[in-house]
Amino acid sequence: MWESLSLKDVVALARDPYPSIRKWARDTGKKVVGSTIADVPEEVIYAFDLLPVTILGTHKPLKKAPSHLPDNACSLARSNLELALSYEGDLFSGFVLPQVCDTTQHLSDIWRINFPDKYVESYLAPRQADRPSARYWVKEEIERLIESLGKWLGKKPGNDALNASIAVHNENRALLGELYKIKRESPGTITNKEFFAMMKLSLQADKAEINKSLKTIKDSLKAKKGKKFTDVILVGITCDPPEIFDILDELKLNIVGDTLVDGTRYLQGMVSVNGNPIDALADRHFKRGFFSPIHDNVYKNFEEVKKLYNDTKAKAVIFVHIEFCESQEYDLPDLKNMIKKEGIPIHVLDTEYQTTSLSHVLTRAQAFFESLKGGSL
Amino acid sequence: MSDKLTSKQLSKKITDEYMEDAFHAHENGKLVGYTTAISPVELFVAHDIVPIYPENHAVANLTAKKGVELCSVVESMGYTNHLCAYARSDFGYRKTGVTVTRGIPDPDIFLACNAQCFTLTKWFQVLARKGNLPVFVFDTPEHIMDKKAREEIVKYCVLQLKELISFLEEKTKRKFDYDRLKEVMKYSAASSILYRKFLDMAQYKPSPISIFDALIGMAIAVYRRGTQECVDYYQTLCDEIQAKVDQGIGVLPRDQEKYRLYWENLPVWFKFSDHAKLLGSYGGVILTSLYVHAWSFEFDLDKDPLVTLAENYVNRFSNSTIEDRADMATDLFKKYSMNGMIMFMNRSCKAVSFAVPTLKDILTKRTGIPALVFESDMGDQRFYAESQVRTRIEAYFETLDRLGLAQKTAAA
Repeated sequence: MWESLSLKDVVALARDPYPSIRKWARDTGKKVVGSTIADVPEEVIYAFDLLPVTILGTHKPLKKAPSHLPDNACSLARSNLELALSYEGDLFSGFVLPQVCDTTQHLSDIWRINFPDKYVESYLAPRQADRPSARYWVKEEIERLIESLGKWLGKKPGNDALNASIAVHNENRALLGELYKIKRESPGTITNKEFFAMMKLSLQADKAEINKSLKTIKDSLKAKKGKKFTDVILVGITCDPPEIFDILDELKLNIVGDTLVDGTRYLQGMVSVNGNPIDALADRHFKRGFFSPIHDNVYKNFEEVKKLYNDTKAKAVIFVHIEFCESQEYDLPDLKNMIKKEGIPIHVLDTEYQTTSLSHVLTRAQAFFESLKGGSL
Repeated sequence: MSDKLTSKQLSKKITDEYMEDAFHAHENGKLVGYTTAISPVELFVAHDIVPIYPENHAVANLTAKKGVELCSVVESMGYTNHLCAYARSDFGYRKTGVTVTRGIPDPDIFLACNAQCFTLTKWFQVLARKGNLPVFVFDTPEHIMDKKAREEIVKYCVLQLKELISFLEEKTKRKFDYDRLKEVMKYSAASSILYRKFLDMAQYKPSPISIFDALIGMAIAVYRRGTQECVDYYQTLCDEIQAKVDQGIGVLPRDQEKYRLYWENLPVWFKFSDHAKLLGSYGGVILTSLYVHAWSFEFDLDKDPLVTLAENYVNRFSNSTIEDRADMATDLFKKYSMNGMIMFMNRSCKAVSFAVPTLKDILTKRTGIPALVFESDMGDQRFYAESQVRTRIEAYFETLDRLGLAQKTAAA
């Protein structure tokens, strides 16, 4: 299904992956398990011979979700629920849902109550990452997830199967990392939209299959430096709709680094395949970067952005703000001030799932980058 | 005339002394620890750290209708009006110094327990950055229904409480005294029993207390639990309410108490007394909510103090599953013979409010009682539509009347 895709195919499927997931499930007879961001160890789900799919909203209209989640709830949470309630729910045999913030505090309850016939499990990753107990708890939760899936399916993978799953995921991250490097250094080769489509589809398709496509795509690329690109850093959790990447491409902005959960945070931390897989997965949890709902050093966000900016020699930071994401909204004023104080240009891009009109995004981004060119660039 | 102080006088005395102690903490060699209303504050008390609750200070300002003034200042600093009004008004207080109290002392450390919400963690992070101060997050995973998972969650929480003790020892350079903690736990356990007894007096008909009494009465449980004076306060309060019960005195006279109501969520602080009067005019008394019960702990003194602390803080209503929360509310419906419910969708409190539509569906189905749902904000008056709320309350009572749900003891 996803073994021999062209870059163009990947972009089209990333826009709406569900028909292909549906066909894959029908052809293979395997079950599909959905999860939402962030940090659910998909390697574990995959080791059970299931397809882990990261649910990243729908662009179809909201019909049922507003009666469960009010309009001041994060638009991604509403969009995900809508996708399951109205459009693709039958595709999933189960869900593993993380508790990460106030919006997701009771979200797995809402899903469980609305899908009484499906497997619904919570994944309670620690919301602190600055003490030894956090590592203890990640390991406990991974073990509990294995127990829970095992109880549901009546079988449990051994360490070999877990390590094999980890290897497939490592390969996926490595391939995406190499493609990112090509894009970073030769922005004329892959557009922002194409690259982040590969990222997104990797979170939703069978990794072993899509790895083959990524490898072929990578081998077929001819590096093109391109002209007049401006290197930027993308900071945030996710970036949607994908047309935002069209805008960035139109403005000839080259994303050379990011902190997105469905971006670099997915790529961070290769997992060892030589030891205990649960220990190795727990280790990976702490190799990943800042994620707003997890408490850590209160300056970590800024320090990471600053380092990324300096390391990549980017010209500006674009902060992708998801409307009603409370975690981001507490961080943003201080982050903005610290970044500005450092002399780093920052542009805040307000987004909302289900957004149809992006003209304001284009106008504002255009104005920002024009002023930048007239100034420090 | 008796020399014994009334509960009101006692509350004032305790509060004045507490704030005096807080403002002179450094002179007395103590640290000031900001913490969340639901947090294992017993460890602070046992270690002589003065707990300060920015939420309580925010309530005082919001009840006095300072919300718009303080929140507007914060919006000009780049914070959106979607955020918790407690946090916004607190940031506004930091910026302007405006407060209806004498304010609160600055913090030395922070303890955020996410059993109530994650907002407090983010709020404390903002404050911590201003002074480069340490934040300890006591992470309480949702108290999911799986028994084995619950045992593991408690183990994780005990581990964190041990880390918290090390953190406190490091910050104060003093050894933690476990015997002192046991003593503090005795007070906490005793005051919790009395606090619950006070809340449960709403079972009587007519009810001698409404939720508005409970909201005033809960203050000492929030900020002075773990002390002898807290026990004394609730003993006095219980005695006073019992005297009302003995005399048959209710919030409304027995023949006018038509509707005994459940309230979901925190109150609309700036409409506190208006709501009591308005509902009373329809024969309605709000008796209770899960919110006020959040401080009626059941500490088991036969257990390791850290275990019973972990068990109690992790199973608060705000950290329980919606199904468990519905069971807790259903128990209250039965116990207090309630025949109406007001479900408040509080824009400020996402952690509690996003469960409300689902909770409402379960409760109306179980009890057969219709619910009044309204959306507003606990502290920001700009989100309160006066006429709309009044109209809905009026319509709700008409519905209850039509369904014949009024208490049979009330006058027709």
